[in-house]
Amino acid sequence: MANKIIFNVIQVIVVMAFAPLIKGILNRLKENIQSKRGPSIFQPYRDIWKLFHKDEVVSEHSSWIFRLTPFVVFITPIFVSLLIPVLTDYPLFFAFMGDMLGGGFILALGGFFATLAAIDTGNPYGPMGASRTRMVGFLAEPVFMVVFFTVSFIAGSTIPYIVQKYWVTPLANFFEPSHILMLLAFLLLILAETGRIPVDSPTGHFELAMIDESKGLEYSGRGAALMKWGGAMKFVVLCCIFLNVLVTPWGLAHGVKLWEVLLAVPLILAKIIAFVLVLVVIESSLAKLRLFRITEFLGAAFATSVAAMITFLLLM
Amino acid sequence: MNGQDLLLSVLPKLNALAGGIFLLTAFGLVAIRQMLTCLRIYVFQSLLLAVSAIILGYHNASIHLYLVAALTIAFKSMLIPWLLRHTVGYENYAKREISQVVNIPTSLLIAVAIAIFSYCIASPLLVAAGAGVFEKINLPVGMASLLLGAYTVTVRREAVPQVLGILAMENGAFFAGVSIASNLPLIAELAAAFDVLIIALVMGLLAMKIHQAIGKTAVGEMIALREE
Amino acid sequence: MELIFILIISSLAAALSLIRVGKRLAPGVTLLGTLAVFLLSWRAALSTAAGGEVIALRNWISCDSFSALILLLVAFVGLVAAIFSWGYIATTVEATDDRKIRRYYSRFNLFLLSMLAVPIFSHLALVWIAVELTTLLSVFLVSFESTPQALEAAWKYVVLTCMGAALALFGILLLYWGMSFSTQAAFTWTGLIAAAPKMPPVFLHTAFLFILVGFGTKVGLVPMHTWLPDAHSQAPSPICALLSGIETTTVLYCIMRLLPMFQNIATSYASRWFIIFGLISAGVAAFLLIQAKDYKRLFAFSTVENMGIILVAAGMGGYDAHFGAMLQIVSHAVTKSFCFFSAGITLLATGTRDIGAIRGLIRISPLAAIFLVLGGLGIAGAPPFAVFLSEFSILKAGIINGQYLVIGLLALFIVVAFFGIMYQINRMVFGSPDIILIEARTLFGRPIISRRKILPVTCIIALIITIIPVILFGIYLPEQLYQLLHHAASSLGRG
Repeated sequence: MANKIIFNVIQVIVVMAFAPLIKGILNRLKENIQSKRGPSIFQPYRDIWKLFHKDEVVSEHSSWIFRLTPFVVFITPIFVSLLIPVLTDYPLFFAFMGDMLGGGFILALGGFFATLAAIDTGNPYGPMGASRTRMVGFLAEPVFMVVFFTVSFIAGSTIPYIVQKYWVTPLANFFEPSHILMLLAFLLLILAETGRIPVDSPTGHFELAMIDESKGLEYSGRGAALMKWGGAMKFVVLCCIFLNVLVTPWGLAHGVKLWEVLLAVPLILAKIIAFVLVLVVIESSLAKLRLFRITEFLGAAFATSVAAMITFLLLM
Repeated sequence: MNGQDLLLSVLPKLNALAGGIFLLTAFGLVAIRQMLTCLRIYVFQSLLLAVSAIILGYHNASIHLYLVAALTIAFKSMLIPWLLRHTVGYENYAKREISQVVNIPTSLLIAVAIAIFSYCIASPLLVAAGAGVFEKINLPVGMASLLLGAYTVTVRREAVPQVLGILAMENGAFFAGVSIASNLPLIAELAAAFDVLIIALVMGLLAMKIHQAIGKTAVGEMIALREE
Repeated sequence: MELIFILIISSLAAALSLIRVGKRLAPGVTLLGTLAVFLLSWRAALSTAAGGEVIALRNWISCDSFSALILLLVAFVGLVAAIFSWGYIATTVEATDDRKIRRYYSRFNLFLLSMLAVPIFSHLALVWIAVELTTLLSVFLVSFESTPQALEAAWKYVVLTCMGAALALFGILLLYWGMSFSTQAAFTWTGLIAAAPKMPPVFLHTAFLFILVGFGTKVGLVPMHTWLPDAHSQAPSPICALLSGIETTTVLYCIMRLLPMFQNIATSYASRWFIIFGLISAGVAAFLLIQAKDYKRLFAFSTVENMGIILVAAGMGGYDAHFGAMLQIVSHAVTKSFCFFSAGITLLATGTRDIGAIRGLIRISPLAAIFLVLGGLGIAGAPPFAVFLSEFSILKAGIINGQYLVIGLLALFIVVAFFGIMYQINRMVFGSPDIILIEARTLFGRPIISRRKILPVTCIIALIITIIPVILFGIYLPEQLYQLLHHAASSLGRG
């Protein structure tokens, strides 16, 4: 029992500690593919350190929401990382708190507060970005729902650990056609939720075109640091859900010994870095979509998820 | 579980995967904006048809289906795209936007509804026939592709996507056919393959004539004869 | 054996028409070919009139009485259309454009070949291919004039009918799957009737609906009829005769052949759908007739209406109604060809298709006017023409059967169509002679300089040959024909 609590804590520490590293690797790989040298992979750590030591400037027109949001955005991924399989393939101490739907709602809570805070300050670019973020979010909801329903229907449960086991034993289950189609739909969804090309440009500085970046525009000092860190952690958490539950449900610790759990850490990092590589290739080969084409993009994701569901129903 | 058994147990899943992606390509014909991509999606769809035919041929140990797969690849993946590219003219394929009657997200929703509708029609048939695991995928997906092809023809305003819609309808009928009518006489299969070829040839030539007469192939805008 | 010869002769004629020798070779070869085909079909029809079957290749190529009837009609209309084309094409296509004339005749022969193949083949998959080929081989005939309207009509034609054919293909594949429930039956029309009792009903129903809607698009049933008025009016007149007179009839033959499959199970299912589609088609066409602005479109709508009438008669069930349907098929084929021929010479005489632009045709060209009036009366169903007799027998059969609502509606639609056709034709024929051309019209791409006072001789000959059966079958049915119709009607089953 005490082991499980310790493992849970280790899980959270792994997510917190390595999130900026993953972000740094992503940025550097993107620059490398474009034949540039790119920043150091530890740059996000230095950015967060620098921001923590700066003064915070807060608009006098903002309310308590603006001050609370960085904490919400920082804590929600931590909560979710308690629930999902990151290092072990059996549920840990706090895993009873929520299943996949619960995790999805908690992440959405963070996004909700970020949107509200963007409107809070009175900066004209904030609400613009906030409305676009909500549009993307609302269009992505049906896809989330259909994917979760199908996955739960197939595996017989909404708890990620049980779903993950379903694909592993027997091995033939991994090749379920609906599984592969769902991978595709979920990949499109991740591109939309984490604000990557082709939905949004994460390195753009043009406020009129920002979707996801606009939530962090007004923050400074400690608030900015927490927003950055929270954003990186959300990305890592989504990757963990995608990789550990759907794509590569192997490589997680099976036993209860400490060394097994510690061995799983480099494995999960390797998996995430491999996924980051795929993501970088996708990002570098596509162009950003015009705003109204995003509906078509998410419509395609919806059609894919429905095709997955239909294929499963047909085989039943 | 030796290799043979593993292969036999994986075959239905592979076929189902081919069917699922086939359904996706049928959705793609409705939703894609660029003409050349539509053509490539059609080629991909025909390849999936050939894959399903090969899987079923292996399962039924029937050379007949392998021949069907070979015919499909030769005619639909190679000859027909070549025909369409060369009769209609290259400048039409450089188009990046195809005009439609209904916008794309709504089209996708209607396409999803059509797919579910064809599933509902096919279920009583499958139950009544005591269908095997291959027919369970091929029949509904084929019917869905048939109806989606018809929908594509009604919704697109350009000549080439309409041709591709009709060819997709034939693809859907054959996709269902390889599982339910797998031992049709070879004469019929050959004649049907040539028939699809002639469809593409005739429609391509007609589209070329239309292009010569009015300068573009937007057949949805030709409404001179409507009086009612 | 005749059946195979028919196919060979037609394809030979198509090939020979392309040879670049003199001006008369192509039309001459076509004429001889169609004459030979007609004689062979007559022979085949006579053999089946006694009730037997003509078999060339068991289960693949054979003819029973119903198919022999259709074959005979196709051959007859093909022959008169070839005669008509001789004069028509010679006058309307530029004399120097030999290639165009040769292409017309070879396409004509290929089109005729595909239509001949539909009743000859008995294996369903081959029948489907033949039906699909009737569309594909006639597309360029519809767009022969190469005007934008003709191209638009041809595009709608090919797109809608290919869609229908794909739907019908799916239905046929379903039937094939259903055949696997009964052993050893061949996939022919008769084999289907034998295998039908063992098929699960849901199979029959679904396949039937797919084939009805799919082939119904080619027949011109409402609401899939939108291509028909355009294609059947933009094509050159002899081709219109082929399209309206026999192409729609051959596909209707395929649909009607599905009826006996239901005779043991839920008979009312198929009959009900036939009656519904038939009534809707007849009704919509009758009302659309009234506002037709182009006399060829007028006749095209009349085709839709007649197809509806035949379908209703087939659906009503019973020997008398089926006999009436067969008679209607015959009378419609010859009368509609006659109508389109007369429309053709009217076009030659006036240079325009517009009803509102022509007045007093009787003084401009008396011959064209007489034939037009005769054609209009014939197709509208006035006595003593053939259509009157067939429509009357259908109505009589319905009243005997007790289906008063269906007969009431049908009679209403026939009357509406009668008035529509006669009103439009009277507008054109009587009155002070005038041709109002709104814009400089062109005929086949050439501007109208003078209208033809002297109509081509072969056109007149074709018209006279065609009017003989139109009047004859309204008064008297030859014994052989009666036998043929009798067997064809019984082959539709007790209904």
